[in-house]
Amino acid sequence: MKKVLLLMRRAPYGTVYTAEGLRSVMGLGVFEMDVALVCVGDGVYALLAGQDPAALDMKPLGASFAGLGEFGVQRFYVHAPSLAERGLAADDLVVPAAAVDDAGLQRLLAEQDAVLPF
Amino acid sequence: MLYMVNKAPLSSDALRTCLAVAAPGEPVLLYEDGVYAAAAGAATAPWVQQALAERPIYALRADLEARGIVRRLDGIQVIDYNGFVSLVEAHNVVPWL
Repeated sequence: MKKVLLLMRRAPYGTVYTAEGLRSVMGLGVFEMDVALVCVGDGVYALLAGQDPAALDMKPLGASFAGLGEFGVQRFYVHAPSLAERGLAADDLVVPAAAVDDAGLQRLLAEQDAVLPF
Repeated sequence: MLYMVNKAPLSSDALRTCLAVAAPGEPVLLYEDGVYAAAAGAATAPWVQQALAERPIYALRADLEARGIVRRLDGIQVIDYNGFVSLVEAHNVVPWL
């Protein structure tokens, strides 16, 4: 089974990347692939709990990540240094995510057949 | 002048360079991803806090709420769209994109 990793490095709402990453990963669900997702840098903000973009007339993106299991996303990872730099902890996130450091991220990237950047 | 910043402070140098250029007393408005600079506990918090001693810093409520930024630095003034309009009416604007 092909291993695919979504590499999310952007904050939600300010650009279209996070929303497009979500759309793509939902589409990947129809293929038989081992899909995982890792948030790095401002990408960790995508998983922050408590997002309420009603006043922006946009859909809440954070909550969508919690439902990705149905689309074949097996694992969530978060780059721990990025989280710490932003004053955030695992408890602040909408999904349980395995923490990786730089070396762990390097290994994760190395074991993929494809890395999709958003 | 009113400086307007819409980029997150850890992935962009927008806020840092804006604060270097803006004169003491000149207000800064954080909007869109710029509002991440209002978060308490981030690595940027010490220098944003320092900037707050020299000038008012405003953050747009709709953008804070969208992003779930609930732990904010003391001194950040949260404004709604009407407050945004009032600020823009009262100042010449420098959009620091």
